[in-house]
Amino acid sequence: MRRILLAEDEEILRMLIVDTLEEEEYHVDEAADGQEALDSLADVKYDLVIIDYMMPTYSGLEVIAEIRKGGLNTDVPILMLSAKSQLTEQERAMAAGADYFIAKPFSPHDLLQKVREILDDENIIQ
Amino acid sequence: MTKISFNKHSIVRRYIYLMSIFIAAFLALAAILLYSFQELNEGYTSKNRELEDKERLVQEMNEAFTEAFMDVRGYIAYGNMELKEKALNKENEIRTLTERLRKIASEEQDQKVLDQVDLFTEYYFVTVLPDAIEDYETGDIDAVKETANGGATKRIESIKNEMNDYNDEINNQIEDNFKELMKIQSYVQIGFVSFILLFLIVLLRITRLMFSEIAKPLAGFASAANEIASGKEAVIEVDADRNDELGVLSVAFNRMAASIQENEQNLLAQNEELVAQQDELHAQQVDLQEALEIVKASEQKLNSRNELINKIANSLDQQEVLESTIVNMCPIIGAEKGIIAFVHEDSYASYGISPEGVKQFRNNLLFSGIVERMQMERKPFSMKREAAEEEKGFHTGSLVSYDLFLPIFLSGKKLVAVMAFSRSEAPFDSKKMDEYEAMAKNIGIALDKISLYRKSEEARRLNQDILDTIQEGIQLVDTDGKILQVNKKFCELFGCPDLLKESSGIGFDEWIGLISASIAGPAEFIEFLRKEVLNGERNVLNERPFTYKNNDGQVFKVYCEGLFHENTKLGTIFVHRDITKEFEVDRVKSEFVSTVSHELRTPLASILGFTELMLTRELKPDRQKKYLTTIHNEAGRLTALINDFLDIQRMESGKQGYERKQVDLLPIIKKVIDLQRIQTDKHELILEVTGSAAKVIGDAEKLEQAITNLVHNAIKYSPGGGEVNIGVSESGEMVNISVIDNGLGIPSEAMDQVFEKFYRVDNSDRRTIGGTGLGLAIVKEIIQYHQGEITVDSLYGSGSTFTISLPVQTEDTQ
Repeated sequence: MRRILLAEDEEILRMLIVDTLEEEEYHVDEAADGQEALDSLADVKYDLVIIDYMMPTYSGLEVIAEIRKGGLNTDVPILMLSAKSQLTEQERAMAAGADYFIAKPFSPHDLLQKVREILDDENIIQ
Repeated sequence: MTKISFNKHSIVRRYIYLMSIFIAAFLALAAILLYSFQELNEGYTSKNRELEDKERLVQEMNEAFTEAFMDVRGYIAYGNMELKEKALNKENEIRTLTERLRKIASEEQDQKVLDQVDLFTEYYFVTVLPDAIEDYETGDIDAVKETANGGATKRIESIKNEMNDYNDEINNQIEDNFKELMKIQSYVQIGFVSFILLFLIVLLRITRLMFSEIAKPLAGFASAANEIASGKEAVIEVDADRNDELGVLSVAFNRMAASIQENEQNLLAQNEELVAQQDELHAQQVDLQEALEIVKASEQKLNSRNELINKIANSLDQQEVLESTIVNMCPIIGAEKGIIAFVHEDSYASYGISPEGVKQFRNNLLFSGIVERMQMERKPFSMKREAAEEEKGFHTGSLVSYDLFLPIFLSGKKLVAVMAFSRSEAPFDSKKMDEYEAMAKNIGIALDKISLYRKSEEARRLNQDILDTIQEGIQLVDTDGKILQVNKKFCELFGCPDLLKESSGIGFDEWIGLISASIAGPAEFIEFLRKEVLNGERNVLNERPFTYKNNDGQVFKVYCEGLFHENTKLGTIFVHRDITKEFEVDRVKSEFVSTVSHELRTPLASILGFTELMLTRELKPDRQKKYLTTIHNEAGRLTALINDFLDIQRMESGKQGYERKQVDLLPIIKKVIDLQRIQTDKHELILEVTGSAAKVIGDAEKLEQAITNLVHNAIKYSPGGGEVNIGVSESGEMVNISVIDNGLGIPSEAMDQVFEKFYRVDNSDRRTIGGTGLGLAIVKEIIQYHQGEITVDSLYGSGSTFTISLPVQTEDTQ
């Protein structure tokens, strides 16, 4: 089963994304802030990380930078969510090391589609 | 004496000659001594060797005979044939030794011993020995014994003694030879000591000769030279016949002494002549000095005139020009006193006149008709008059004084000032008056110039004042980048107050340096300025703004415009406008929009997401209900957010309408507490009231909103639950409502900002607690509208206390 880490401080959005993804039988681990996300990333190898832009303790950008520094998940694909939809936010996310970007509000269907795409891509590569 | 012949040569040559002989004699003697010593030594050695050889040969012979005798005896006793052979062989050995001795025999005794040895050898080996052996071999022992006893033994003894004697003799000779050597050696030593003594004596002689020949005459020269130097006559006591250097020196020295004496006499004669000339010159000098004084007097006049011209040409100070004029004109004219006074202005300068005199003159000037006369005649005039009492000094008789009046015209037309001088010396002639008139004209031109300068200076100051009044930094730069003018604001901005005073202006690099020091990231800005300064084209858009930040965080916009005269660019005007406020407003506005959009997007994302899930998926009823509840809550959150946005927007823009009615706060507070209590089961809300009249004038609904926000915050920011105390009290004219929680508290660095819009303390505890960041901003707006105050006191980690103070008011007091 594909394992995904979801880092999002808004509990309701977390619920929405988990419900969306679990339909597809992905295993989703939840993190409510940057610190929790980093803790999980240190222990488990993930197939995908979905991460919010603004989070307490460590922001999404900081967590991404930490991931890309090295370690278990250094090459994991990262999908960033942000309520700030400006192009600069997206550029910053990409510069920090994110691979994909989805702006809030988003359609669960689109998100699912994107996740499938990413993970299928991974399959093809593997 | 031999000395004389030596003197024919030079001293150097003589001494080289002398030294050569000395060294040669010394070397020859030393060689002879060494050679004879060597010879003696060799004679001794050879004689000694010869004697020793003789001694050794005789000894060997003796031994040979002895061995022969022994061997013969041994043969006869034991019959050993070997011994017989040995004894017979000795004959040859002895004959060989005899031959060797004969070769070196030199003396009589040698020959004698040799003859005896020969005789004995012949006897023993030819006669005795063969007989004895024959007898022995035939067994006739008796015959042998007889032979031995019959004289052989005796002869053997005899030859042996002979040889021993000879040996002793030789030994004696060796000893004598050695004694001889010793004797000769002692002679050699005596010879050597005598040689050294002779050497020392000769050396002493040479030294004495040098002393008397050279040192003594030289000392004589030195003392003679000293005497000549001290002015005495001196005689050189050196033989003038000497042909050597000293002889030559003595002749030259005497010649020199004679010439010095002669020169001295000449000098004395010249000196007398010079004294006579000096007297003559002194007389001439006195004459010249008199002439010089005359020249000096006229030079002083010229100096005064030059100074006056210089002053009026270069000074822009009117009073300075007036004073210089009067001080310098008096000596030129030869006046005792003088005055220059403006006709319509309160300016004057005087020389030698009392204040009363000045006052009187200026008064007379206006009313005596002098001005009118001058205006008409446009010429100077003079008057002869009786001297006044105070002018006479100690004179008692009648005294005449001459007055001269000189008009000064501005721009050659308008009479502006009058000069008056008095002198008692002589009347003024017309030629001199023309000269003075010309000077008055020059003074007029100078005053004209000063007046023009004053006008332009006033205009310039007015310009500068206008520029300084403008609240934007203004800078006029020429086409080389040199600053021509700046205003006060510019100097304030760039911290260069000296720049205002600098009349010469400062160069591009210098002011660029100043600007670089006070603004952030100057490279781009400097490039902009450089481009604008060098840009020679007329600016079509009339302004090219550039925005920069200085080190204090102020933001500026620079407008620039070329300054053109006809089509030639004279320079560039830069206007630095402080747009910090506008910039800040823009920044806040865009931040606000960004924050609002973010705050709206989160609940919108939930609503959109969940509705999509409900629309596209088959869901169980309990999940449907959960989603719908979420959607409802999020829609409520959106509504609250929008209400808060609208409230703050209205309040900030002053469009919020407030009711003004009597409000009793207590029922409102109680209502808020009741409503909030329902929403939490972890918190205990406690109301404590002291005093009675919590009555204010205002809008009940808005005040309720403010109190609600505070109580709601207290609950929200103490997520662990606990007491929330609401206190109502009065102090003087104010009613204080404080809301105290034991929750998270506020970090001290964030205290100043909690009332700002959208400000939220950024830490993990608070991130999980929702909020728009507008609640406290709204409270502050409402309280400020009611002339109240809101304060916060908090200890991070222990809770916060928010207190609102509102003025107590009833409708009666209004």
